[in-house]
Amino acid sequence: MGRISPSNILLLIFTLIAACAWAFPLYWAIVTSLKPEPEVVGSLSFWPQTFDISSYAFALFDTNLVRWYINSIGTSVLITGIVIMISMMCGYALSQLVFPGRRVLFLVVLASFMVPSQALVVSQFVLMHKFGMVNTWGGIILPQVIIPVVVIVYKQFFDSVPRELREAAKLDGCGEFQILFKLYLPLNWGITAALSIITFIMSWNNFLWPFLVTTSEEMMTVTVGITQVGDSFGVQYARDMAVAVMAAMPVAVAYLVFQRRVTQAIMLSSGIKG
Amino acid sequence: MSGVTLSNIKKAFGPVEVIHDVNISIEQGEFVVFVGPSGCGKSTLLRMIAGLEETTSGVIDIEGQDVTHQEAARRGVSMVFQSYALYPHLTVFDNMAFSLQIARRPKDEIRAKVEEAARILQLDQHLDRKPSQLSGGQRQRVAIGRAIVRQPKVFLFDEPLSNLDAELRVQMRMEISRLHNQIGATMIYVTHDQVEAMTLADKIVVLKSGVVQQIGSPLDLYDNPDNQFVAGFIGSPKMNFLTGTVAKSNSGASDTVNIRLDEPPNSIVSLTLSGPVPKVGTAVTLGIRPENVETGDVTDADGHAAELTLKTEFTEELGGVSYVHSLTESGARVTIERRSDRNHIAQDHISALLPTRHLFLFDADGARLR
Repeated sequence: MGRISPSNILLLIFTLIAACAWAFPLYWAIVTSLKPEPEVVGSLSFWPQTFDISSYAFALFDTNLVRWYINSIGTSVLITGIVIMISMMCGYALSQLVFPGRRVLFLVVLASFMVPSQALVVSQFVLMHKFGMVNTWGGIILPQVIIPVVVIVYKQFFDSVPRELREAAKLDGCGEFQILFKLYLPLNWGITAALSIITFIMSWNNFLWPFLVTTSEEMMTVTVGITQVGDSFGVQYARDMAVAVMAAMPVAVAYLVFQRRVTQAIMLSSGIKG
Repeated sequence: MSGVTLSNIKKAFGPVEVIHDVNISIEQGEFVVFVGPSGCGKSTLLRMIAGLEETTSGVIDIEGQDVTHQEAARRGVSMVFQSYALYPHLTVFDNMAFSLQIARRPKDEIRAKVEEAARILQLDQHLDRKPSQLSGGQRQRVAIGRAIVRQPKVFLFDEPLSNLDAELRVQMRMEISRLHNQIGATMIYVTHDQVEAMTLADKIVVLKSGVVQQIGSPLDLYDNPDNQFVAGFIGSPKMNFLTGTVAKSNSGASDTVNIRLDEPPNSIVSLTLSGPVPKVGTAVTLGIRPENVETGDVTDADGHAAELTLKTEFTEELGGVSYVHSLTESGARVTIERRSDRNHIAQDHISALLPTRHLFLFDADGARLR
């Protein structure tokens, strides 16, 4: 085993401190959620003197958390499915089909990539209101199904599939949909999985749009719903933290399980082809 | 019966025409090879027959049916690509069965056809493997198997052996030839390797810059090329060319011409032509194949052969055959093939004789003067 150089030791210490600083709020949230409320406000301790899961019981049984979970899971799954389908087909068309205006269309997709979603919320809200889709899953989902970067990533990947494979499939009798679903999609399962995970996480974490388009507590997603957890006696830190921990749980689990894919997707969507 | 007929075929990419008025007739069951240097349009022509490239004008006819504007899958052709183009995510079985699965054929029929093709190509043991687990030769066989199961009217091969090593290439060449004999389908094969063309073809089509130079059997093209390009392209090592000028021309009963070679001491060679005789002073090129250059104690037997003094540059000794690469006094390259008598090829200077019966005469544009 080689000797560790002093610079490496320094680097190791620095990264450990940075990791602790990053992880501390998460630790603090979990620890706080496991303390009884008087202990939270009464003393500053890094470990609960008494373990108390009543905050979690409150979150599960006295709030609409289960309903918010269903809304979040339902809308995120649908958004992910629709985004992947639309983007894959759009990326395929831009990459493989020859039609008038293809280049212009690609530039439009690129340009839309540069428009921040916040700039569109007012007009989107007016539109959803006119469609009668406020306080519906459709209203939450529809404005979120266009993600230009996913189209661009798919186009990049489809561009790199050898032309002969497509030609062989054509000679074998495949139409364009069959070429896409029987050849291009299986050849790009990895990137499809990565993009699906990151799209799911993005839509799960989205706060601004669901916050605007849902006013009924029944239709809120988890991220919006947790802002409604309050009490007539003021702020209840342990309960708030328990709800926050439960809201973040699915995403945290997804990160842990699909760590490599998520990293790959983040690199791809920021323009570094991994 | 006609297998494939190309009539007045043209192909243009924008303003650039790459295939110029090609007319080829291929009999059913014939093995035809399109050969030519890189960029001559041979692959484009094959892709047009396959339906992978649009035809700008002209008619492509397969077994009596005009398929010029028909989509690729309906033409009854199968293609074997240079890169094999095997679907990497599918097993050998699924690769071969793919077209039949797309056509929704019954499972029993698919299995029977794939197993039959696998048996012909000795792939029975590899049906469950993925392409990445196969060697180059096995992948090529899978690509051929994929073509066979479709039972096409025409097989198209686009430089299928160029990714293989020399030994495997020879082996696969024999296998393709055996396959042709076995299934008897029309096959069109594209290559830039004239040895492949000579060994496989019933008929060779030589292309240059999108123009058909000559169509004929391999030995026809070798023995009787229509122009200097075909003469130089067919044959390995290639034909030797020496420039000269018509010194004397007798148009009459004998139609003889005397050619003065641009080689000191201005050797003159006399040739008898059956066609029109070029005028005195016309620049011409003489061609002779490496195996026909005589060396050693040569005598001008017929009194018309040119004699040259050659300086040996280097020799390739392959055992049974040797190639002597030499230069004339004016710097023209001459290759000599020797199958015996190795002694004199080691010399620095060689006396060589070019017998008239083996000489080909070409005009300044490369057309053959017969």
